[in-house]
Amino acid sequence: MSQALFRFIDVRKSFGRRPLLRGADIELVAGRCALLVGRNGSGKSTLLRIMASLEPPDRASVDFGGGPLPWRRCRGYLQRHILYLHQQPYLFDGDVRYNLGYALKGGRDKRALVDAALRWGGLEALAGAPARSLSGGERQRLALARAWLRRPAVMLLDEPTANMDGEARHATLELLRALREEGYALLIASHDQHHFGDLFDARMALREGRVAQCADEPPAIAAVGR
Amino acid sequence: MQSLGEAIANALGLLLGGDPELWEIVAISFRVSVTAMLVATPFALLVAFALAHFTFPGRKLLVTLFSSLLSVPAVVVGLTFYLLLSRQGPLGDWKLLFTQSAMVIGQIALAFPILVAMSHSAFHALDRRAWETARTLGAGPLRATLTLMREIRFGLFAALFAAFGRIIAEVGASMMLGGNILHYTRNIPTAIALETSKGEFAQGIALGIVLLSLTFSVTALLQHLQQRRMIGR
Repeated sequence: MSQALFRFIDVRKSFGRRPLLRGADIELVAGRCALLVGRNGSGKSTLLRIMASLEPPDRASVDFGGGPLPWRRCRGYLQRHILYLHQQPYLFDGDVRYNLGYALKGGRDKRALVDAALRWGGLEALAGAPARSLSGGERQRLALARAWLRRPAVMLLDEPTANMDGEARHATLELLRALREEGYALLIASHDQHHFGDLFDARMALREGRVAQCADEPPAIAAVGR
Repeated sequence: MQSLGEAIANALGLLLGGDPELWEIVAISFRVSVTAMLVATPFALLVAFALAHFTFPGRKLLVTLFSSLLSVPAVVVGLTFYLLLSRQGPLGDWKLLFTQSAMVIGQIALAFPILVAMSHSAFHALDRRAWETARTLGAGPLRATLTLMREIRFGLFAALFAAFGRIIAEVGASMMLGGNILHYTRNIPTAIALETSKGEFAQGIALGIVLLSLTFSVTALLQHLQQRRMIGR
């Protein structure tokens, strides 16, 4: 079994008096895609946002291989290596090229890299189009190409095919497959596993604030038994 | 006392003839108000961002306070700073009363709540995903903040124009803190007030035309930029 890049341990989060995450454990492995299923409101998005360091947990530890560390001490590291994609991607006010370039810090080869991302996402014809004029499927492709340019170790995707027609979903899944083959660790949160075909290597369920490995899947990326 | 037609004709004459006294008054107005805006804007944007982005005790109270300060009369601001800067006041040693610096201070106090309240509304209305997307794409806090400001730039421009419009046209604070001294602290609104009280309308009308032209140009520019943005979508 491949070595985990990140292992999140005992993630807890409450909103007011309502506990949402009650000690969720999850690990991410390079080149593997995991699917996290759960009903609406089960805490999937919150768990992903905590993993991406966009929201603080009440309590959590992270293990990069050298033993667990408190989440707060790892926050910067997580932010650099884990990228979160919203269910509805936010695109900046500008054209497609501007949005792609945002993921880069600059440098002489910025234009060439943006061109490569346009090709990767099948967006060449839309390079100069205002990003906010794109269709839902095109927006998701742009968000994925932008994430690809950022080159994080892990991508967390929140319902990446929600509200898409068959063609747009197929194009999105092809890009996700390409990301997995390039070695990214992917974690997809969805309330419906049927959209993803054979894309995922492992399936987990978030129930009552804890992550459980689904028995019929190989433990390539597993919820850690506690 | 001049007839209206005569006064307008004389006003146009002053404007087109490049009357040095008139244009000096315009220059003083702009110098004072632009300085006040340059000092107030960065701090106001930081405060607005903090109020919109962070949760801390007293945040709502501060938002309410800045909103209430929007409608404080300029003359009350003038009186407050007059008392502070007058010889017997706590800041009397600074010897700032009846100087352009005192006018700048008064105008900062007037512009600041407008800048904070309107910028806060713009930041607050922005989708939370904008900040998260910037951060998750590798932007540090400064770059992410600048990105948000770019996203809401039209709201921020509106705040800047509203604040500038308020301070360049206010009489009360400038009169009390500047003293309306010719060649030094006489600005457009205090000059208009003085000339009108003397029954000399030409210079007042000429200065009024300058203010109206400025307002019209700024509004037209803002609308043009917004329309370009809508077409670009």
